[in-house]
Amino acid sequence: MPAGRHKSRTLRRVSRKTPGAKTTLQYKKRKPSKAKCGMCGAVLSGVPRERPKKMQNISKTKKRPERPFGGVLCPKCMRKIIKESIRE
Amino acid sequence: MIEIGRLCVKLAGRDAGKKCVIADVLDKNFVLIDGETRRRKCNIRHLEPLKDMIKIKKGAASSEISAEFKKLGIEVKETKKKEKAEKPKKLRGKDKKPSEEKPKKEKKKADKKEKPAEKKEAPKKETKKEEPKKK
Ligand SMILES: [Zn+2]
Repeated sequence: MPAGRHKSRTLRRVSRKTPGAKTTLQYKKRKPSKAKCGMCGAVLSGVPRERPKKMQNISKTKKRPERPFGGVLCPKCMRKIIKESIRE
Repeated sequence: MIEIGRLCVKLAGRDAGKKCVIADVLDKNFVLIDGETRRRKCNIRHLEPLKDMIKIKKGAASSEISAEFKKLGIEVKETKKKEKAEKPKKLRGKDKKPSEEKPKKEKKKADKKEKPAEKKEAPKKETKKEEPKKK
């Protein structure tokens, strides 16, 4: 039985192997929601889903795609914006 | 629309939103582009053609194209050419110089990890310790 404070599902359960080859349950904080496009709301690829402390340790180039509006807009919406800016 | 000398805007990748010129038509689908973007093969689906044209020859050099871009008032960043660097040689066996390798390892490793390193390199260190004594 889990301890009383672990009965609620606010913490997520992760099974990890210990050095002694046993599997134990660890309780970790839940990950934030997936990054989404600012215009259409599509899920963005290439953006890691980590807690802020872990995001600090990831390099900038690994946190978002290397294109204009990378990590903010999906590629479809980015193309729309560029095309509109040309036509003006 | 897709022809040599056509100004375009790139839509995909790290160069998206930058202007370029078609320098050569390679294929039904692919063209060679140059200008604000890097000189590269590009799918025509990744280009948005503009109204303007530039007079250039087929396969024009990037220096000519950058000169044409300056006339239009678009500044092109000059990129440095990559020089071929020598491959680092791996020294093995007798050629290895312990004096060259040791300081690198000490710099990289944190204070905590110094202890196991000392154990491994114990025979080497003994030789080192003797040298200052002689001096
Ligand atoms: Zn979108």
